[in-house]
Amino acid sequence: MKAPRSVVITGTSRGIGLGLANHFLAAGDVVCGCSRAPAALQHERYTHFELDVASEPDVVAMIRAVMRRHGRIDALLNNAATASMNHALLSPARTAQAIFATNFHGTFLFCREAAKAMVRAGTGRIVNFTTVATPLRLEGESLYAASKAAVESFTEILAREVGAAGVTVNALGPTPIQTDLIKNVPKAKMEALLDRQAIRRFGEMADIVNVVEFFLAPASGFVTGQVIYLGGVQG
Amino acid sequence: MSPHSVALEERVRALIVATLPPGAKPGGVIFGPDGQLDSLGLVGFLADLEYRLTEEFGGQYLLASEQAMSRGRSPFRDVESLTAHVAELLKQ
Repeated sequence: MKAPRSVVITGTSRGIGLGLANHFLAAGDVVCGCSRAPAALQHERYTHFELDVASEPDVVAMIRAVMRRHGRIDALLNNAATASMNHALLSPARTAQAIFATNFHGTFLFCREAAKAMVRAGTGRIVNFTTVATPLRLEGESLYAASKAAVESFTEILAREVGAAGVTVNALGPTPIQTDLIKNVPKAKMEALLDRQAIRRFGEMADIVNVVEFFLAPASGFVTGQVIYLGGVQG
Repeated sequence: MSPHSVALEERVRALIVATLPPGAKPGGVIFGPDGQLDSLGLVGFLADLEYRLTEEFGGQYLLASEQAMSRGRSPFRDVESLTAHVAELLKQ
């Protein structure tokens, strides 16, 4: 029987983050999750932290609490994200700041603090979440796509900075799946997006879990700095 | 400098020296030109030190603070500069 992994997942109150938390708990792992909202799940191997991922003191405190409790972090999944579909010329500055705060700064802070623990341990896996909106250059999603482009670039460079310490850093760009993030996107826009994929369907949690587990697999220690999009979308 | 400050700096210096990676000499340059650690070595060392500071003094510390990174002389250059930097952080 394999030893339980210590997994940190951001944005576990719903959608992909909640799905990932349930997957790892079902696999027997120990999960620490966070969101602004209270815990959406109760489990003896799940610990929830209510915080803003863009708050440096909160992120530092959470990662140190995880280390005190479990002694290590095997994997960090940076899933927390926010989106705002709007024409760039109609986007308030505050929206841009909020999107970058959650999507990029949050990812950066969690990567920095978890990677410190991983570098000390000489091993670790980080998976950052991006989006197909970035390679597809989707109109109406300029801020969201730009924030994820920053995540991709950060992923690629961080992978080089910590590679020698046995830590891998990769990114996964899911296609749209039926979550709250896209509930307000018009159906016609969604159909047009699916038409640009090689495989024209919504993604499923199983598609995401498959790639995440590939990045986390012990045999994937030589895979780093990669961005994988689902559905046949190419970068 | 008060006796309290001297005692604090001595504790900090001892902790820094104890945290240095094997083979690194306390009297030498830690990071920078002719430094004993490369950037990844520095990251591991500072991460270790942050955790040890918490164990020793409580609280939580970020050694690569904005203040530290904007200084003309790096606080990570040697044991003395790092001791002064950490002691300052602790006093805050």
